[in-house]
Amino acid sequence: MVAPTTEALQTRSVRFRIKRQDRPGLPWRWESFDVPVEPGANVISCLQWIAANPRTIDGRDSNPVAYDAGCLEEVCGACTMLINGQVRQSCSCLIDQYAPKDGDVMRLEPMSKFPVVRDLMVDRQRLFHALTRTKAWVPIDGTYHLGPGPQDTPQSQQVRYKLSECMSCGCCLEACPQYKLEEHESRWDKAFIGAHAISQARLFNEHGTGNVLASDRLETMIGPGGISDCGNAQNCVKVCPKDIPLTESIAAIGRAVTIHSIRKFFTGK
Amino acid sequence: MASIIAGFLDRHYFLIRRLHSLTGVFPIGVYLFPHLATNSSIVWGKLLNESKLPAGQLESLGIAAHAGVETFQHEVNFIHSLPGLVLIEIGLLWLPIAYHGLLGIYFAGTGRSNVDRYRYQDNWRYTLQRITGYIGVLFIFIHITSLRFGWTYWGLMPAFDPQAAASSTAQHFQQSTLGTTFIAAFYLVCVLALVYHFANGLWTAAITWGLTVSVHAQRRWGYVCGAVGLMLAGATVVSVIGFSRLDIDAARQIEQVMRNGPAGAARHVEPGGSDVLSASPDGRDP
Amino acid sequence: MNTQKRVIMVGGGLAGLAGTIRIAEAGLPVDLFSMVPVKRSHSVCAQGGINAANDIARQQGYSEYEHFDETIYGGDFLQHQPPVYEMVHWAPKIIDLLDRMGVPFNRTTESQRDLRLFGGSLYKRTHFAGATTGQQLLYALDEQVRRWEAQGKVNKYEYWEFLWPVLETDDSGRRCVGIIAQDVRTMQIRAFRAEAVVIATGGCGMIFGKSTNSVMCTGAAASRCYQAGAWYANGEFIQVHPTAIPGADKLRLMSESARGEGGRVWVPRTKADRRDPRDIPENQRFYFLEEKYPKYGNIVPRDIATREIFDICVNQGLGVGGGNMVYLDLTHLGREYLELKLGGIIEIYRKFVGEDPALVPMKIFPGVHYSMGGLWTQYTAKDDLRGMAMGSANSMMTNIPGLYAFGEVNYQYHGANRLGANALLSCIFDGLFCGAGVANYVLEVVTTTSARLDQSVYDAAVRQQQEIVDRLINGRGMESPYQIGRELGEEMTAASTVVKSEQRLLQAIEALQQLQGRYQSIGLSDTGMWTNQNLCYARALGDMLKLAEVILQGGIDRKESRGAHYRTDFPDRDDANFLKTTVAKYDPDTGRPEIFLEPVETGLVPPRARTYGKVAASTETSRPTETVSV
Repeated sequence: MVAPTTEALQTRSVRFRIKRQDRPGLPWRWESFDVPVEPGANVISCLQWIAANPRTIDGRDSNPVAYDAGCLEEVCGACTMLINGQVRQSCSCLIDQYAPKDGDVMRLEPMSKFPVVRDLMVDRQRLFHALTRTKAWVPIDGTYHLGPGPQDTPQSQQVRYKLSECMSCGCCLEACPQYKLEEHESRWDKAFIGAHAISQARLFNEHGTGNVLASDRLETMIGPGGISDCGNAQNCVKVCPKDIPLTESIAAIGRAVTIHSIRKFFTGK
Repeated sequence: MASIIAGFLDRHYFLIRRLHSLTGVFPIGVYLFPHLATNSSIVWGKLLNESKLPAGQLESLGIAAHAGVETFQHEVNFIHSLPGLVLIEIGLLWLPIAYHGLLGIYFAGTGRSNVDRYRYQDNWRYTLQRITGYIGVLFIFIHITSLRFGWTYWGLMPAFDPQAAASSTAQHFQQSTLGTTFIAAFYLVCVLALVYHFANGLWTAAITWGLTVSVHAQRRWGYVCGAVGLMLAGATVVSVIGFSRLDIDAARQIEQVMRNGPAGAARHVEPGGSDVLSASPDGRDP
Repeated sequence: MNTQKRVIMVGGGLAGLAGTIRIAEAGLPVDLFSMVPVKRSHSVCAQGGINAANDIARQQGYSEYEHFDETIYGGDFLQHQPPVYEMVHWAPKIIDLLDRMGVPFNRTTESQRDLRLFGGSLYKRTHFAGATTGQQLLYALDEQVRRWEAQGKVNKYEYWEFLWPVLETDDSGRRCVGIIAQDVRTMQIRAFRAEAVVIATGGCGMIFGKSTNSVMCTGAAASRCYQAGAWYANGEFIQVHPTAIPGADKLRLMSESARGEGGRVWVPRTKADRRDPRDIPENQRFYFLEEKYPKYGNIVPRDIATREIFDICVNQGLGVGGGNMVYLDLTHLGREYLELKLGGIIEIYRKFVGEDPALVPMKIFPGVHYSMGGLWTQYTAKDDLRGMAMGSANSMMTNIPGLYAFGEVNYQYHGANRLGANALLSCIFDGLFCGAGVANYVLEVVTTTSARLDQSVYDAAVRQQQEIVDRLINGRGMESPYQIGRELGEEMTAASTVVKSEQRLLQAIEALQQLQGRYQSIGLSDTGMWTNQNLCYARALGDMLKLAEVILQGGIDRKESRGAHYRTDFPDRDDANFLKTTVAKYDPDTGRPEIFLEPVETGLVPPRARTYGKVAASTETSRPTETVSV
């Protein structure tokens, strides 16, 4: 349908093997595309090229690959997928680093822990649901002017800032051996909440006002699907694109629930 | 039934999980120390202790002194002399082990290893923890039933006689139809798996309970757990070698001398009061 | 059917979320529509900070008034002054509110909120959270909205694309009573009723192909409102940010805070100097901004910095290696300082370029960044012009009653050039201040609830959208939407960004009309009706083409140079004729914009020359300098 652009002949090409599924419930298949890559190209620019030239290596006309994307500078978390089997953002995946030679193969798959919507696009609603479960907010009185927030030392600010950089991309969940695909919303409240939400619980428990809800958050962490489901494989911290100290958060919440439950045992609260 | 269990799990989830973590460390993990210390005494007893048997007596039997056999027997005697041993066994060992093991199998089933994709050291650690857990449950069952209750598994596991502790254990190792190497390897793999399971469990428990929060603390505690693991692994290897190579006949005679006392005929009563001569000849524990 | 009055918010960035919070707080249920999960909105990309007068600056002679004056001066006097006056006075309160929401603003050793220098100001008045301030602000608002959502006051429709405002005409005239939206996963198209609709859909960077914007910033929502009858103002004012890193898919922003924290822009003094920048001695480096603008140095406003960089590279050929690049040097600042204050952008540069800015000067070039122009909106000024009337129902209402525009998508506050770190402020201010106006409109002005309206109004609007989709799906043409989009971007960037001229703009209009012609015969490679991104892009492209024409036509009609709009054929500012807003009205018959000029309210600060203390540099520029005739 679309003539290949002329630059196809001028640059080296990389083969993209893409796991495709037209919609939920339909079988998936692999499709391969040869994509000419310019220096500085990333997975997104290659997917854009495929969208404009959707012809597979066996010459069959296909259609653009569906995928999520947003900022393209690794702060929005949208374009997360499996690249050569490993979860990461596709925008920051530079072809020259991943597939340096002509004819190298890049394998793209959707995340496996979330239901596929189409092709590389998945439904990560459960991830945001976990933030609601965690009450990941500061319960302010309202938007009227009531002066500044609680005092914060630079040290504590640095800790909170790091935790607050979590962009809900889901890498930590994808790589977690304890986190499993749950298609149905009804199961979300009891399935493992995941490292990101545990870390958010820590973030808000450390805030002067956010702390008001600390016990609610710890109760969630104590319940089914809470922190006890962590198996300490520590993949989360290694795949986190923002280098958030997730395992420290898990240990910190571990300590908090230990104290919380002992206190609860003796005071009944 | 499943829903009842699920409901119970939901309500007491945290307590159940934390008890699972706790039992792994205490009493089960802690028990490894005296157990492996006793077992390895077959070697360190020989190296560190002097034979307490009267000089000349062993020579007259034509065998060399073996303080290891004596030490091991002494330790076993001590254990068997504990008051209410069965209650201790049930309360501090069998029930915690059953709890930890069965729930462990259930919990391990809630995860799915992905070391094929994420080949991080910690991920291997996680996966091994589950594999060693499965091995451990199986092994402990065989171990208790064969050595405590005398199941011989069609002769594959000759039984243990607390009155002839060293010799019957050596028999257990050497006289199986599978051969010494196989049994030695079997014990080595299974016990090292348990040692790993404990050392790693000790490390993760510190995170679970929130003792080691920072990455640095986790790393430092990791060194401690590694040292503990190596120590226990050393004791394991030493024990297995010791029993695989022990001279059974000589050990049996030493044990006999120990039982019968220096005079060879006098009744010997152990401090705990159990009468060693009343032990049944086939080695079954009464 | 639910008969309760409700509000539709389109867009989940800072403006949309702030508005949602304010309106929900006023007791009205809000239906929040976003093409992406709101936490992934483009506001996450804002890096540098948010401006507000503060105690330290006050003791140096700064105040809200100076903030106001700087903003007006920076915007080359094109903005209406009362809304700006109101906004800067809210700024300190907004900082406090964000602080209360838990935004981790950087702190001093005494636990005070830290401040940094930013473009167009000589005072430290920019609050920041590392170099990802926009992200942190967005997350704080996202959390508050999640809290409202958990209480059932806010319904999120994520992955729903706004297609059209539903307008209803009765005796009192036309008003907006809902929207048509499409679920971009299931492709379902349906109508949603509401008493008021707020458009908070941000900018239109995608019209320029590569920009610093996110992929959803097509401007399609604004364009659809424009085509439905809303006016679009000052479209020609597109901010080109001086410092971005060029990439294959987009231009990645390197925040102005890099210069605010001490970063220096330079090029080698000799053309095509191939040496490693670290080997070039100090006296052979041309710090052109510092030399030309000794007072402001590297933190001159963006339009000026951009033109200077453009001039150095394009006109003087002094760019790094002879190409279109200059150095942005942070190497003298020290790693620890950089990680603390600029960690976010340092990381972006490291990841996408593969070099460490702590060791090697960054290579940057200007990139399309922000639209000062946008949907035309109203306000009610206080009698003395010092601010807007609180709670006025027309606050940021477009010319269509019930249809509002918040944030980047409207044309207020920034005039001809936005100052750095004022965008986050204007977005949140719109949401909080004007959100109250929306609530008042719905509660006090609207008499007939939308639930009472005849279904046929909505059915017709749905049908109209379905027809557009059907036409695209069934089109059997050979033109690729991606190819047209790419050509559009290249043409717009070449003709209508840093330097413009009548001749070039006319040429671009011609090219645009050709593209519009080709657009009529596009064919989609995906004709399915499930998560068809091909279709969504193709439809947005049609709207981008319409909006592009507004941008070009405004540029042609504005025969002067002002702020970000620089015409080589009219290099001076012309207040006599063009201290005016260009307002574009869509003509449904011709499909073209009709432009008229509207006076600007400048009652508080009279326009003055905008020079930023420029002096002649040691290397003279070949380009006419932008001295201003008042």
